[in-house]
Amino acid sequence: MQEYVLKTNQLSKKFKGHRALDKVNLSIRRGSIYGFIGQNGAGKSTLIRLVTGLAFPTEGSIELFGTSEEQALIQARKRIGSSIESPALFPHMTASENLEANRILRGIPGKDCVPRMLKQVGLEETGKKKAKNFSLGMKQRLGLAIALLGDPEFLILDEPTNGLDPMGVIEMRELLKKLNRESGITILISSHILSELHLMASHYGIIDRGRLLEQLTAKELDEKCRQYVYIKVNDPGMATAVIQNELGTTDFEVMQDGGIKLYNRIEQPSKISSALFSAGLEVEKFTSMSEDLESYFTKRIGGNPHV
Amino acid sequence: MYNLIAVEFFKLRKNRSFWTLLIALAAISLVYPLMYYFDHQSSGEPQFTGAEFLGTFIASNTYAIKFGVAVLAGFFISNEYATGIMKTIASSGNTRGRLYVAKLTGFAVGVMLVSLVFPIVSTVEVTLLSGFGHLPEGSTEFFIPRVLGLTLLYTAAYAAIGALIAVILTDSGKTIGFSMIFLLMVDIVLAGIGSKVEFFGKVYDYSIFKLIGDIGKPSIDSGDLPALLLVPLLTIALCAMLGIFVFRRKDIK
Repeated sequence: MQEYVLKTNQLSKKFKGHRALDKVNLSIRRGSIYGFIGQNGAGKSTLIRLVTGLAFPTEGSIELFGTSEEQALIQARKRIGSSIESPALFPHMTASENLEANRILRGIPGKDCVPRMLKQVGLEETGKKKAKNFSLGMKQRLGLAIALLGDPEFLILDEPTNGLDPMGVIEMRELLKKLNRESGITILISSHILSELHLMASHYGIIDRGRLLEQLTAKELDEKCRQYVYIKVNDPGMATAVIQNELGTTDFEVMQDGGIKLYNRIEQPSKISSALFSAGLEVEKFTSMSEDLESYFTKRIGGNPHV
Repeated sequence: MYNLIAVEFFKLRKNRSFWTLLIALAAISLVYPLMYYFDHQSSGEPQFTGAEFLGTFIASNTYAIKFGVAVLAGFFISNEYATGIMKTIASSGNTRGRLYVAKLTGFAVGVMLVSLVFPIVSTVEVTLLSGFGHLPEGSTEFFIPRVLGLTLLYTAAYAAIGALIAVILTDSGKTIGFSMIFLLMVDIVLAGIGSKVEFFGKVYDYSIFKLIGDIGKPSIDSGDLPALLLVPLLTIALCAMLGIFVFRRKDIK
């Protein structure tokens, strides 16, 4: 069995001179949930479209389930379920008819998978309601059901939580985790809701302006997300002087709201607080925190989350 | 391949534009002969029989075919780009060539059904009103199967052109508009240029646009028959190859 379901080698895509993807070497390990992070236009959808065969690479190659030969790649795509950009639905068909059309398309024998999938995504009660009258959340669920038809080994989902209400987001997350845990489905999921990705992804890929900046595991990310003490006082200028002079460190950041992030001193709360009190500062907030995926991502792409 | 064609038929069955087209054409096909019937009744002219009506008005069916091709190319093919269905199809693990052939087959069958509405509904109605009568002079007992068979063949050729336009333009509005203008104007343009440049005159003479007018002839000379059969077949083959060529190279958005 191949260790990786997807590997790209120097994958590039140009659109009219603009490089949408630039020599991307991405690898997705079997059984993982791969969170694909990037801003709008960073190249996430372009990469997904190349992998699913909707577009053709300008340079480089794609290896799916260990194969990269053109005909074998086409065959390998039968093992993928995907929902790209927005759910692809027949607007004048019911949920059941939409699934039936996709069942026939993929040559899946037996009609029993249709009600099973509808139940799995909570759409079994939609009856004769046409897909065009569905809410965005219902469309997303139906898109997922279509992607899951035929029990794919690799699921590619582009912004699957778009339009879902909070309960829907939780249900979607739990369903994906269950599929990954119980059926061993490898999942590539791109999302703008980084906090949501943080709750399910086992691996991350960060892409910016067509370049894959970094790939890391959830464990590596946790290690990289630095812990800090967040301090808010009545005089941030004086507080920074105290931190430098009394604690002997410059490893801190002053935020726009006047808050201070003090790194590498998380084990010394009493020392920090007594230094601040001794200087006559009024402490409004004093708490230990850690950077989240959002802050890490923003830093990684060179932006500032607090601006 | 079977499942690809099966899904196209499933989609055709569920396509509202297809059913609207069929019903609208059936209604027109019922009204059109009635106007002649009442007109002739009031003027005292002899009524058309079913056979006469078919022979005389089969040429008008070309408009139904052209209209059907343009509308279905837009709503059955190009619309799938807008709804994103084309993404699902293209990522289903089948070659683009197979996908195109399946799509063309489903589309062509849809337009072929549309092309039969007028000749069948009108002829049956007129037959019920005034009897079937005699087949046109010089025709054989194969006249009706030949007319219907050639209608289907030429419709398939028009469908191949429509599918090619749809896959190039990928937008339903543009596809319907361009197909309609192209199919309605091509005769006039080719005939006009052909009257000045002999080469284009020959091209027009041996194109489906001109030859479709010969479908309703009572008899066809044995020398004309190969051209009448080969031209639409070659048109289908050429347009299908061009369509596959375009579809294989196209990024699907």
